[in-house]
Amino acid sequence: MMFDRRLLQHINWSLLGLAFILFGAGVLNLYSASALRVEGGLTLTPFYMRQLVWGGAGFLVMLLIMIIDYRHLKSLSWYLYLLTIIFLLCVPIWGKTIYGAKRWLGLGFFNFQPSEMAKVCVLILGAKVLTKTEDVLGWRDLVKVMSVALLPAILIIKQPDLGSGLILILILGGMILYKGLKKRVFKTLLIMLPLLLPLAWNFLHDYQKERILTFLNPERDPLGSGYHIIQSQIAIGSGRFWGKGFLEGTQSQLRFLPEKHTDFAFAVFGEEWGFVGSIILLIFFCSFLYQIFLVSQEAKDKFGTYLVIGVFFYFFWQVLINMGMVLGLMPVVGIPLPFISYGGSASLVNFCLIGLVMNVSMRKFMFKSG
Amino acid sequence: MSLFNSKKKWERDYGPYLILVLIWGLFCVFGLRLWYLQIYKGEFFAQKAKDNRLRKQSIYAPRGLIMDRKGKLLAINEPSYSLAIVREDCPEIDKTLLQVSKWTGVPFDELKANFERGRRRVKSFEPQIIIPNLSFEVLAKIEAYAPRWPGLKIMVRPRRKYLQGPVFAHVLGYVAQASEEELNKDSELALGDNIGKQGLEYVLEKRLRGKKGLKRMEVDAVGRSLHEEVLRPPQPGEDIHLSLDLELQKKVYELMEGRAGAVVVMEPDSGQILSLVSSPSYDNNKFVQGVSIEDWRKLIKNPLHPLQNRCIQSVYPPGSVFKLVVAACGLFEKKIDLEEKIYCSGAYRLGRRVFRCWKKHGHGRVDFTRSLVESCDVYYYKLGEELGVDRISSFAKKCGFGQLTGIDLPHEKRGLIPDRNWKLKRFKEPWQGGETLNMSIGQGYTLVTPLQVARFVSALVNGGKLYKPSLLSEESRAKAKALPFADDIRQKIIRAMIRTVEADHGTARGLRKDGIIIGAKTGTAQVVKLLSEYEEKEIEEIPYRFRDHAWMASFAKKGDRSYVVVAMVEHGGHGGSAAGPIVRAIFDFIFEQ
Repeated sequence: MMFDRRLLQHINWSLLGLAFILFGAGVLNLYSASALRVEGGLTLTPFYMRQLVWGGAGFLVMLLIMIIDYRHLKSLSWYLYLLTIIFLLCVPIWGKTIYGAKRWLGLGFFNFQPSEMAKVCVLILGAKVLTKTEDVLGWRDLVKVMSVALLPAILIIKQPDLGSGLILILILGGMILYKGLKKRVFKTLLIMLPLLLPLAWNFLHDYQKERILTFLNPERDPLGSGYHIIQSQIAIGSGRFWGKGFLEGTQSQLRFLPEKHTDFAFAVFGEEWGFVGSIILLIFFCSFLYQIFLVSQEAKDKFGTYLVIGVFFYFFWQVLINMGMVLGLMPVVGIPLPFISYGGSASLVNFCLIGLVMNVSMRKFMFKSG
Repeated sequence: MSLFNSKKKWERDYGPYLILVLIWGLFCVFGLRLWYLQIYKGEFFAQKAKDNRLRKQSIYAPRGLIMDRKGKLLAINEPSYSLAIVREDCPEIDKTLLQVSKWTGVPFDELKANFERGRRRVKSFEPQIIIPNLSFEVLAKIEAYAPRWPGLKIMVRPRRKYLQGPVFAHVLGYVAQASEEELNKDSELALGDNIGKQGLEYVLEKRLRGKKGLKRMEVDAVGRSLHEEVLRPPQPGEDIHLSLDLELQKKVYELMEGRAGAVVVMEPDSGQILSLVSSPSYDNNKFVQGVSIEDWRKLIKNPLHPLQNRCIQSVYPPGSVFKLVVAACGLFEKKIDLEEKIYCSGAYRLGRRVFRCWKKHGHGRVDFTRSLVESCDVYYYKLGEELGVDRISSFAKKCGFGQLTGIDLPHEKRGLIPDRNWKLKRFKEPWQGGETLNMSIGQGYTLVTPLQVARFVSALVNGGKLYKPSLLSEESRAKAKALPFADDIRQKIIRAMIRTVEADHGTARGLRKDGIIIGAKTGTAQVVKLLSEYEEKEIEEIPYRFRDHAWMASFAKKGDRSYVVVAMVEHGGHGGSAAGPIVRAIFDFIFEQ
């Protein structure tokens, strides 16, 4: 394939810019979250440095992805999917146990989380399958698309990683909703889902049930899972209008806030930057999502549209669930906030997916019909 | 926004709108939530964050020291170590308690139950004491490992120590952990605090306790203190000086060892008590650390009731000591002619009953002085008959019997001075004439405490003032009731008491001591009506519980020093022979000092 110079002219700078701003805010926030105020003063643990390294790697992978025409992915999607399933099957056998869960594969110099890869591959395969279905999905198509998510989702939930598993289903669910369901199917689902909830309840681990119950009543277990909810709300709320200032958050600095560099990173941000900073960050996230949405609308083929919509939902759900959890509107599930939470595989995947969107965006003028 | 060349159906087109709604929804919901948390509830959470970081903790105030009249220490404070748990800092409470159980040998279930009971009283970020009074072995074990268990804290607090243990146990009482009820009543108390439960510790609790201080600490999430600031220094409790004399108390305690009974040594002119011994005693230090079930059972099951303060809580028939009261009453009512002699044949007949004198063959002709000196029963049968129960009863009450003395110790008993009404109420029977006779020699229903006797004798000596007996050196003498009879009567009785020591037939002649004026009255109180089979026997042949109680009520004067000593030996036999030597030894000790 020849590299077309026009591609460079069509780079979506706003999307790229927003991604960099968010990533930058994340690194800055990690810098603060890594600082521990102890008797001797400040000591820094290098989370933000590692995040920077992962971000750099992600940026390179993004460039690589931008070069290859996304339409090739259509034919590759099944292979990628199979590879993911194999990785996921490897996890219980050779996986590394961190924090009591087997989620990582050791690849010598770094630990790799196959569930992150699954998110990418599932949405690519999902986009491909969707292009082949009718415009409005009936039962048969619905099952077909959802089954793409189901196998990896079950493997991931067994790790146990309920959050990531659910994300897979939610991403495809979002894509299906975007495409549209037959009225009859939609109505039936609306009635059936509440009935399925008790079934799903039995499927959960005890600690997961506990988290949901605690969410409904945080005082139930103020030292256990309720602790996170309470402490994160105290941290954010005490930031008030202007925030306590960079590196000045007492709740995070004094380590009242657990997992402040991963799932609860946004609480550190909210404490230090206050209402003003949080709203600005929220605006950046929404603009970022909006940019992705615009790309999906400009794509020149269905596959491109569905691909970008998949990416949209990937980011949308994670922002929704993480912020909802940190702000005390949702149960605690381990979902990171894109760009803001620390996470190697996640950073890599975030940039991969931006690469995909850029890819689609750059090629909107390349061909006229899909 | 039609994108693809396809059919126009509503299902088809709503996709892009769905996305826009989702983005706006995301912004609005989280924006509102941020507003709620950071603006609307911002103050609230800012305060919470402060509380989270700044913790307040009590600083224990040392309890006031207790000293004897010469400033010698009796009750002090020493450091004691307790293990506490801070719930907020302890991620796994069960696991931690299990570990504590391994260290200390206290069963896990017991620890857990105590912990649950206490958690309502202690805020989650305050230390809640789970094991008080760690022994040094356990402390050493825990100190090495505790830092690895977040939430566990070793607390140092002052603990009471009684330097003389049993010697002062009945006076000082003890402190012990405050009960649920006490905690509810007193908001200044925290779980695990010790408060006075008995004796002066109980009565003077307010003065001894002091006020806790307060410090503020900035802590991190595991409760490690980053820095501290004292907001309010603790106020130590007030030091208390007793009127008691350590050396004398020790001497008296020694003299009473191996016997059950009570001794009161009093300064008649002030009402101050120099020694107050109840025997047998107990080690009050054991209560401070929480008495073990085994020790408690031993104390409770001991037939001699070591926990009972016999000086104020045990009531005994006064025996012949009561003749002092009846004599005064007789003089007051002018029923006695000092010169008149009454014939004692060893028995007195009232109706069909015969009342015996302790001296089987009688005293012969007995006048007033001799009646006290030789303690003739017949004289008092006759006098009692003439006075009648009502006069004796009301007179005795005015002399302080049947009433509380008001000493600063809890659970004092009144004793009993019977009268017609009392008997009617108690037994639904009318008073019998014979009962008046019995009462006149201090038998029958009449019951007194050794302290009441000491107060009465003091009043005889000091010019007729019934002081509130005082254990504290600072106490004023303002509160005194007057004896119900005039000075000349008092003098006559005192003279008779001195004769009791000085006369060759006096029942207290054993007390005689050169250069010192000593007066006394002995008493032998029947515990049960002597069974006829023991009547002729020597004291050693009578089973202990049937032996009489022995009384000796005495005073001594040398220059401007005067003392009253009352000794009561349970089942000691005759007053003169059992209680006498003890009083004698006490006087020897006092005047040699």
